[in-house]
Amino acid sequence: MNTKLGYVWPPILVATIFLGGWQLLVVVQDLKPFLLPAPSLIASEFSSGATLMWGAAYYTATTAFLGLIFGTVLGLITALLAQRFITVDKLAAPLAAGLATVPIIALTPILNNMFNITSRTPRVLVTAIIVLFPIFVNVTRGLIQVNATQLELMRSLNATPRTTLRVLRIPNAIPFFFTGLKIAAPLAVIAALVAEYFGGPQQGLGSRIASAAANTAYGRAWAYVLAAIITGLIFYLAIIALERLVTPRTAQVTTTA
Amino acid sequence: MTPTQLDSKNPGSALAISGLSKVFNVGNPNEVTALSDVHLDVHTGEFISLIGPSGCGKSTLLRVIGDLTAFDSGSVQVAGKSPEEARKERLYGIAFQQAALFDWRTVTRNIELPLELAGWQKSQRQERSAELLDMVQLSDFAHHRPWELSGGMQQRVAIARSLAVDPPLLLMDEPFGALDEMTRERMQNELLKIRMETGKTIVFVTHSIPEAVYLSDRVVVMSPRPGRITAEIEVNLGDRNEMTRESDHFFRCVTSVREALRVHDTSNSTSSSHRGEI
Ligand SMILES: Nc1ncnc2c1ncn2[C@@H]1O[C@H](COP(=O)(O)OP(=O)(O)OP(=O)(O)O)[C@@H](O)[C@H]1O
Ligand SMILES: [Mg+2]
Repeated sequence: MNTKLGYVWPPILVATIFLGGWQLLVVVQDLKPFLLPAPSLIASEFSSGATLMWGAAYYTATTAFLGLIFGTVLGLITALLAQRFITVDKLAAPLAAGLATVPIIALTPILNNMFNITSRTPRVLVTAIIVLFPIFVNVTRGLIQVNATQLELMRSLNATPRTTLRVLRIPNAIPFFFTGLKIAAPLAVIAALVAEYFGGPQQGLGSRIASAAANTAYGRAWAYVLAAIITGLIFYLAIIALERLVTPRTAQVTTTA
Repeated sequence: MTPTQLDSKNPGSALAISGLSKVFNVGNPNEVTALSDVHLDVHTGEFISLIGPSGCGKSTLLRVIGDLTAFDSGSVQVAGKSPEEARKERLYGIAFQQAALFDWRTVTRNIELPLELAGWQKSQRQERSAELLDMVQLSDFAHHRPWELSGGMQQRVAIARSLAVDPPLLLMDEPFGALDEMTRERMQNELLKIRMETGKTIVFVTHSIPEAVYLSDRVVVMSPRPGRITAEIEVNLGDRNEMTRESDHFFRCVTSVREALRVHDTSNSTSSSHRGEI
């Protein structure tokens, strides 16, 4: 039960049953591709267009990656600043809820006008803004939500606020940072992709999905969606790998956004 | 093993507290007088225990001494200095009920934390932490992480950390509270050994009457609402050994402490009965 295989088999089984059922449903009900293309059709589109898929995914992933880096840096800086002024954790949650209601993706057309629409810049910016929030909220929490006894200990040791930040708050915030990153990384892919719907260069996954659907090539559109899912998954797994590398096992506290 | 830093005016005084009062939430409906007119003198090298029901202000008293919280009136002198000066000069080490170790540091690096903050060189830090690990018998766990240790071992690390800069005064707030009886007794003996070896002044908070009697030269009994000192019982058990806990003298002391606690418990029984332990 506890072997590696024990973890691998259940999802494979579930996926097989799911895809099999899907294929069966499409064949038996004779569903048209614009309603729901069969997995076999998506798979053949995916493999025949592999180079195109790869290129589109690479373009969107690059936008997502740049936005993720940029947004993370901004999120960390704002969290460090906020930590100096917000001392009660209570403030972070409503702030997050408030920010979450801002339809950031709607900023894309505006940013497209502000920056060169033929460049990647507006998309990277939108992605960065979207990434900023989960990073900011989680890291701020990690910096503020410090064990009270550990804070007293730091005071008893005559530590300055700066030393306390370095020795206690920042290490304390690292699991929170990864919680934020795990939310932010797939979000970055979605943001980079959706931002492509608002015009600009056409080689990304979002543009390809839109044009395939417009050309009634539904199997191809779904194949691009599959490529987008895989890209998001790779981002997520990369964060998990990074977390494993950086944090020792048991310190991987589960925190919520 | 350095002799305690002495108060020049009053060479034997490790702690001089008089007329100390502390009120939380002044003016609010939930105002609490945590400490009221507390007088306490502790001489250098003495081991005293603070005992009393939950909420009687033991932790608050310890925090005032450690300058972790402000007080409203009275005077507090730690080795002849204000609590703030004493804290800034690192004259005390503190151990809390929770070990409060940093998970992201190894055992050694947890113990070295006070040394780092005091600006010790790396080689000196390593030498000192090795010495302390040896003292608390955890040399084999130097490079483990705190979570890999049992509760008792973690508490020993916290105690080693509180001893790191060799402060003349040790403040301990129920450090053995979460331990089972066997571990607890072993830890008590270890603490007495450390005390013998280092000659430190120790202020120890506990809920356990036998623990207070076994460890201390003097047991200070407190009572709640308002928090104050109601009795002080001299113990004088001499050198402790396996027989100490079964001696008549030990039982007599336990009985006196219990009676001192009971006197105020009955007078407050209605108001304190609903207060559970935290
Ligand atoms: N930060 C605080 N704000 C408000 N009231 C406080 C605060 N800290 C302590 N008190 C109050 O002061 C009183 C004394 O608290 P204290 O923690 O010193 O008790 P204690 O003797 O250590 O109790 P215990 O044995 O349960 O640890 C209690 O009534 C408590 O509610
Ligand atoms: Mg307490």
